[in-house]
Amino acid sequence: MNPTFTLVLCGVALGLPTAGFLINALSAGRLPHRVVTLLGPGVVLGAFAASVILLVELLTQPPSGRGITVILWHWLNLSVGPANGALGRAGFNANFSLRIDPLSILMMLVITGIGGLIHVYSVGYMAEDPSYNRFFAYMNLFITSMLVLVMSENLIFLIVGWSMVAFASYALIAFWYQRPAAVAAGRKAFITQVIGDVGLVLGAFLIFLNLRGSGGQLLRSVDLQTIFANVGPGPHFHNGLGPSGGGLVTAIGLLLFLGAAAKSAQWPLHTWLPDAMEGPTPVSALIHAATMVTAGVYLVARFHPIFQQAPVAAGVVAAVGIGTALMAAIIGCTQFDIKRVIAYSTMSQIGLMIFAVGAGAYAAGMFQFFTHACFKALLFLAAGNVIHALHDEQDIRSMGGLSTRMKLTFGAFLVGSLALAGIPLFAGWFSKEELLSSGLVLGPAVPWLWLLGVSVNVLTSFYIFRVVWAVFRGEPTSERAAGAHEAGPTMLAPVLVLAVLSAVVGFLNIDFFGFHPITLFSTFLDPVVGGSPAQSSPGIQAVALLAGTLLSLGGVALAWAVYGRRLVSAQLISRHLPWLYQLSLNGFYWDELYGTVLVRPTGAAAAMVRVVFEGELFESLVGGVRAGVRTLADDLRTMQTGYFRDYALLFFVCAVIGLVVLGLRLA
Amino acid sequence: MTGLFPGFLTLSAAMFSIGALGVMVRRNPIVVFMSIELMLNAGNLVLVTYARYTHTMAGQVFTLIVIAVAASEVVVGLALITGVYRSGRRLDLDDLSEMRE
Repeated sequence: MNPTFTLVLCGVALGLPTAGFLINALSAGRLPHRVVTLLGPGVVLGAFAASVILLVELLTQPPSGRGITVILWHWLNLSVGPANGALGRAGFNANFSLRIDPLSILMMLVITGIGGLIHVYSVGYMAEDPSYNRFFAYMNLFITSMLVLVMSENLIFLIVGWSMVAFASYALIAFWYQRPAAVAAGRKAFITQVIGDVGLVLGAFLIFLNLRGSGGQLLRSVDLQTIFANVGPGPHFHNGLGPSGGGLVTAIGLLLFLGAAAKSAQWPLHTWLPDAMEGPTPVSALIHAATMVTAGVYLVARFHPIFQQAPVAAGVVAAVGIGTALMAAIIGCTQFDIKRVIAYSTMSQIGLMIFAVGAGAYAAGMFQFFTHACFKALLFLAAGNVIHALHDEQDIRSMGGLSTRMKLTFGAFLVGSLALAGIPLFAGWFSKEELLSSGLVLGPAVPWLWLLGVSVNVLTSFYIFRVVWAVFRGEPTSERAAGAHEAGPTMLAPVLVLAVLSAVVGFLNIDFFGFHPITLFSTFLDPVVGGSPAQSSPGIQAVALLAGTLLSLGGVALAWAVYGRRLVSAQLISRHLPWLYQLSLNGFYWDELYGTVLVRPTGAAAAMVRVVFEGELFESLVGGVRAGVRTLADDLRTMQTGYFRDYALLFFVCAVIGLVVLGLRLA
Repeated sequence: MTGLFPGFLTLSAAMFSIGALGVMVRRNPIVVFMSIELMLNAGNLVLVTYARYTHTMAGQVFTLIVIAVAASEVVVGLALITGVYRSGRRLDLDDLSEMRE
């Protein structure tokens, strides 16, 4: 690959959204509406074009050569230290360097491609909003941050991108700052992100302080390729971060996963995601479905050499992932807000991806990320069409009968639901079944996790088809639903493009049964994440596939029986297992638990500090000082007569006293 | 010549005291200014006396500088006095005491 050409393309991909953000932000609303419309989505689509050229350039290389590091600029270069100093002769380098390899290019394509479609959609969705340009400024900033995060070849800039993403997410969730609920949701998301940031930063510190080269010397490197080359039993056979399974590398793995859990809304840092639905719907599609929440999956996949050295940490990752997937799927079955259902579904699907990357099936996890980005963005945008048509109504109990009024949106939503549910030949089926079956053969505990995973399948297809029937079938249950009509072209076109993608992208990676596999996708990722894990026998795989598919179809049938035909009462569970229903309806009470354990004690402590310190202590201290100064000033002011001769007299008297003192000392 | 030094110094001290007294007791700003000039010149006299006594030039040079500064000070001061007079106020320092508060 030509380094200069790659550098220019990387600069374009990163520079265009940055420029879009700066122009939109600094013009402060003075740009005409039409210019913002061209600029906002335009820069992202430009970045997408650059990413596609990079992909083509990458594909022209042999698989082993698919990976290039370009240095955008030299940031810190301390290589002139003393030969035996603490940093050694090599010194410390931190450059703004970018890595282009199959993993990062995949992320870039999804971020700019799906992101670009969502930008186009926003043109229609946000057209009436008075802060139109502010919205696009934040959206462009988000794209920039995300690109920094996935392209960075350097721990420092990875963390920079990681935190910028958190800020952009905060700004977009709290975009409608006039709504107290939106502001509170933004704050909650940001605080949760910062908890994760602490984990990521501590993990990075541990790597930086402890990484040793093959000679046992401390490397003091923040360069990702250097770190990965020295971590595992690579070509030089040494464990740069202690022995495999050791305490150090396990601690690093767990700390990194804390960061990943906060970004990817995994238990126990998951509570921000449902609240984040207060933001505009394109934001939910962009951030909380396609890109930001998958940053945790990317992080674990990118740092897989460390997780491979830390089986305990990887096991925790897999267990947390599958647990979150199951919990979120159960919650999703009882929610009434259409966006919250999809949000819990996102949490659940990302739990599956986290499970896959924790279990070592990195390519399967990233494939699920790829298909999920398509069909989940589609579901959010189609839901956005519905919400828009119903004038910001989000409760599925007030919808119904929309399939005749919004035919295209219904079709798109149905495709997205089929893909999400894992119905054969739609994208989700390929990725999810591959993910589950590859998880089946890894590690002794994993088959049990697989069982949990396929039970998620039933719940997934149940809750999403519950929404399909409640929103699109039956009779309208409100005047708004009865008066709904199809969305405009800018909102419909991206939805239809995503619907086509959701239907076909699964064919990129047909891997079942072992014969004639078209594993384009896994093969593409192999140079980064290593070869596919060992496969179990085709027989077991076929059984697993059949079981997973049947369970998915069973979920659809169940939803049809309950909500379509009303063969089974929807109140069955709530009547016979009220505790389960309440648990699900209230999101397993995590918000209440955190409220009781963390938020309220902190609030009480703050209130006490306000009364005791601010009210009593500081008030009397500050008040006392103020009163003292006042008295002193009143006394001193009497000296100030305003008569010139008084001042002159004082001056002379003091001068005489000074002279006398001086004379006495000299004498 | 040495015998005259006490005389010069006494004269200087007398001029300075008269000037200081004038600054303190007179209410007319122009007279106050004249008193200040008297004090400055008393200082100049001491400077040149000692310059002469020690056979150095520093005192002479310093006196020239004092004269120059005194001249500029008079310009500023007279401009202020003229300004006050033009504003229709009496030239009485005791009346000009609003800056107290």
